[in-house]
Amino acid sequence: METILSAAGISKSFGGVHALKGVDFELAAGEVHALVGENGAGKSTLIKIFSGALRPDSGRILYLGKEVEISAPRVAQEMGIATVYQEPLLYPELDVVENIFMGREITNRYGNIDYREELSRARTLFEMVGVDPNFLVEKVGRLSLGLNQLVLIAKALSYKSRVIIFDEPTAILTEQEARRLFEIIGRLKEQGVGIIYISHRLEEVFQIADRITVMRDGEIKGTFPAREVTRDRIVELMAGRSLRSSVRRARPAYGKPVLSVQGFTRRPQYFDVSFDLYPGEILGFFGLVGSGRTEVALGMIGIAPPREGSLLLDDRPVNIRAPFEALDLGIAYLPEDRKTQGLFNILSIRYNISVSVLGRLKRLGFLVDRDREAEICNRYSAELSIKLRNINNLVSSLSGGNQQKVVLARWLAGSPRVLILDEPTRGIDVASKEEIHNKIFDLASRGVAIMVISSELPEILKISDRIIVMHEGRMTGIFDRESATPEGVLRVAMGEAGTGIQNQG
Amino acid sequence: MSFTPGVIPGEPSSVTDRPGRSGHGGAFPNARSMFVTLGLAIVRERPWFLFVSLLILIFVLAISVNGFFTIYNMLNMSKYSVEIGLLALAETLVITSGGGGIDLSVGSMLSLVCVIIGHLAIKLGINIWAAAFAGIIAGFLLGCINGILISTVRIPPFIVTLGTMYAYRSLALVITGGIPISGFPPSYYALGQGSIMGIPFQVLIIFIPVIIILNYTLTRTLFGRYLYGVGSNELAAKFAAINIKKVRVWVYILSGLLAGIAAVVMTSRVATAKPDAGFGYELQAITIAVLGGTSVAGGRGTIAGTVLAALTLTVLYNGLDLAGIHPIWQVGTLGLVLIISVLLNNWLLRSKE
Amino acid sequence: MNTKAFYRVAYSREFIVFISLIILGAVLTSFSPQFLSLENISNLLLQISGITIVAVGMTMVIITGGFDVSVGSTLGLVAVIIGKAALAGVHPGFIPVIALASGSCLGAINGNLIAFGRIPPIIATLGTMNILRASIFQMLGGRWISKVPAGIRWFGISRFLGIPVPMWFAIIIALIFAYFLSRRPSGRYVYALGGNPEAANLAGINLRRVQITVYSITGALAGLAALIYVGRTGIVQTNTGVGFELDVIAAVVLGGTSTLGGKGSIVGSVAGALLVGVIKNGLILLNVPALWEGMIIGGLILMAVTVDTVRQRGIAA
Repeated sequence: METILSAAGISKSFGGVHALKGVDFELAAGEVHALVGENGAGKSTLIKIFSGALRPDSGRILYLGKEVEISAPRVAQEMGIATVYQEPLLYPELDVVENIFMGREITNRYGNIDYREELSRARTLFEMVGVDPNFLVEKVGRLSLGLNQLVLIAKALSYKSRVIIFDEPTAILTEQEARRLFEIIGRLKEQGVGIIYISHRLEEVFQIADRITVMRDGEIKGTFPAREVTRDRIVELMAGRSLRSSVRRARPAYGKPVLSVQGFTRRPQYFDVSFDLYPGEILGFFGLVGSGRTEVALGMIGIAPPREGSLLLDDRPVNIRAPFEALDLGIAYLPEDRKTQGLFNILSIRYNISVSVLGRLKRLGFLVDRDREAEICNRYSAELSIKLRNINNLVSSLSGGNQQKVVLARWLAGSPRVLILDEPTRGIDVASKEEIHNKIFDLASRGVAIMVISSELPEILKISDRIIVMHEGRMTGIFDRESATPEGVLRVAMGEAGTGIQNQG
Repeated sequence: MSFTPGVIPGEPSSVTDRPGRSGHGGAFPNARSMFVTLGLAIVRERPWFLFVSLLILIFVLAISVNGFFTIYNMLNMSKYSVEIGLLALAETLVITSGGGGIDLSVGSMLSLVCVIIGHLAIKLGINIWAAAFAGIIAGFLLGCINGILISTVRIPPFIVTLGTMYAYRSLALVITGGIPISGFPPSYYALGQGSIMGIPFQVLIIFIPVIIILNYTLTRTLFGRYLYGVGSNELAAKFAAINIKKVRVWVYILSGLLAGIAAVVMTSRVATAKPDAGFGYELQAITIAVLGGTSVAGGRGTIAGTVLAALTLTVLYNGLDLAGIHPIWQVGTLGLVLIISVLLNNWLLRSKE
Repeated sequence: MNTKAFYRVAYSREFIVFISLIILGAVLTSFSPQFLSLENISNLLLQISGITIVAVGMTMVIITGGFDVSVGSTLGLVAVIIGKAALAGVHPGFIPVIALASGSCLGAINGNLIAFGRIPPIIATLGTMNILRASIFQMLGGRWISKVPAGIRWFGISRFLGIPVPMWFAIIIALIFAYFLSRRPSGRYVYALGGNPEAANLAGINLRRVQITVYSITGALAGLAALIYVGRTGIVQTNTGVGFELDVIAAVVLGGTSTLGGKGSIVGSVAGALLVGVIKNGLILLNVPALWEGMIIGGLILMAVTVDTVRQRGIAA
């Protein structure tokens, strides 16, 4: 088989963090090449480079035997490399046909849009994808997420592409829709289209892939013909060596839980999630993309409250509708995305640390107590060893690791009883990471109940007392420190091991 | 009033605090680079820039326009800056709160409150000070309507305040039938026409206290802190446990309140309640706020900058007036100044990054 | 017609506006039988033709997520320009060209400030609105222009096939741009820009060009409205076009165009313009003082936007 797309020595880093380290990758015509790995392994970065959304720092890309530069998404599309992303990038107020042909309308000789022709071509595409053509004249905003995804697939097909990249296409499809997709992929293969297929569902990977490439920490850990490799081997490579903590911590006393989540449900993000959180415990929350782990946390602090279920704090039900209510009850949440959800970029370090506790430092009911504010800023920047010259400098003058510490300091300053940390060390340097881990241990030893959400398995294994694993919106496993192995956790997270809910203890 | 740029939370307390701008330890390799640094600092630290331009403007007018540089004219001029200054302060708060914040209805609220005061005091014969107080409460309520539609119903601010701008203006006309109300008791004039040692009363007992209180509010109170947070990153503010809706509602209420106070000052100064008193003031107020360094993207704005911008424009108007240029060109100039200062703000922000 | 399609029509904005029109018309007729007289109806339609024409442009501007409060001033300034040109003896045949050209230049200024200067539309157009007002004053010097040549009056008061010329303009403009929005690729880009600018950019659409185009078109249409205005009234005053933007914005917003961008239709705006016309006409027939107009129109805008926002959130939740 001839190779249609290949990458050689691709590297890419973001602010000192290496997302890809000299990656080599090959795709043959008429092949389904699956790309697997945990979140943050570098798969998304690699496909973004293929689709023109990112430029590599170094390395070469060969397409149809020629070296190419994919400078923009449009360039990739015109070359014949189409990508079906996880999140739909569509126009909700326009109909399906208009969405499919946006930017490259079919026109007649007067330059008018030939809607009839578009409709008939879109109908052919929809017949291929196996969707009721009646949906073609429906506004996209009214369609379900699954249908949205199918529209995107139809759109990718409309480019007559030589390479189609699917990024977790089945995550929001029903089983029937997914089966349909595999048929389409089979047909595309026969036509000589090369397909890069990213999925966390190993079952379907083995069902449709010809070759499987495993990525971890920005590197390729191996490429195998699907028939010659076992699932266990793949999971093992994905998980890597486990980094057991050198810190041997005392087992927390499992007495009365401080917080108890009961039957949290918010379709379609998560279903019937229940767990307890104990004082002094570090509870790891692990799951792959779309598992609903962050959504559960957002439900707990009232950003997107669950439709069903209840939250008990000290055995009393509480109703939290906004983060400020959560904080009043002693529940703090460190958000996932530092840049958009955490930092006030144009304001000072001082502001960024103190903003959430100002309400408790007030004098006369409305004045900011500037002395105590400065005191708190200095105390926490020392405790977290934030490297700064002056707390009045802009927070944007700090490095990524120090910015993350600033946001963490904000939540520590509120002395919460329950601390939810969502990706506390994403995209920061190793030294800062270590410091943040030590801080988490320290807090737990002082009786704070901590829930850590992370997509980095080694981190979860290193710091957690217990690990809850989610898969597609459901809790599929609870591990305690001793029983957790990288393979075991990952298998449950990928929905491989059935439901492994065990009673903790 | 403080001219220190340090009034912005998040801004360094002095220019040299910022790393990478002034070199190390403030040592300049030569005189030329010192001038460049100084020049940049004046342009980037808006209050200083305005202060310098104000001095230059006064100097130019003093030597070119007869009768400009007299104590009488200077003090008299400050009188006129009060009403528009109050509205500009309102606009500063609103624009700083971000999310496309703008209040097009300030002028109409001013007119409507003027008319309400006149109606209560003269048509209904209520005690004038009670009427003035009721007027301020009315301003509060008018702002409240804006605030609720914007933050609770979540309609874009420009469309809400455009709607209320016309509605309030028309209500003022309806109440009066389009005819100005006059006949205020002379005791009421003191506020708008009296002075102590030549300094107009309204400057002394209204404008300066309001400036101090607002400056204090923005820099020292929780509300001020939350305002900058909401304006600079709404999502982060939500996660940081700030009650965004509450902050936004209060911003528009304050805007109405300030328009109410401005109405009291104005009725007292001109001794008439005109239904079109605030016509076109929204443009002036917005222009002053933006000229004062308030960023239309939200999160940046200072009281010092706005006050200096208000003074600058008042001086400019006065100069144009004395030079015999038709007042309509004040409006035209304003439009131009507005567009140029937003362009300038955008350019400065981009070059900062 | 199946039930689903029936509900879709019944809940569509155009339908609601038409129903309100009929009800309002019935109420007005019962209070003042004059309402349904041929003279009143044709007068009403004549009055709203200017609003309709500019509302077509405004619809496109708002669909892109923009806004334009300078249309009233643009109308005023173009009226002054063509008034002066006509008095200076320019052939009436050239006058429409001057009107459209000067209007579109003024619109292009807005478009460039917004697209390249990245000034929020409300601020940019508020600025130009006042600059234009000052220019009008400067050009007129406080006087009126009257005794406009008969050649121009044709655009305002003549009839063609029994229908007044301004109405022909309104109908033709509405048809052209309804066609443009639904059948031309650039028309689709207008929706793309307002609906999802990021995706539109990725799809290779030149966003700035679309922006500048819609503001220029709106300016040109304001120029056309100025031509009709001068033709109809024969005078140009300093305050020509003051408050005109309110009627236009009301028509568009009542017609269901979303101020958040990405959604709207010409049919809706035409219906909205009719509604605004009927309301204004009704106020006159019922002897309501003109002072109430701002309250009623402003209140209607707020009501329409509130209902839309609440409904949209209801669907989203």
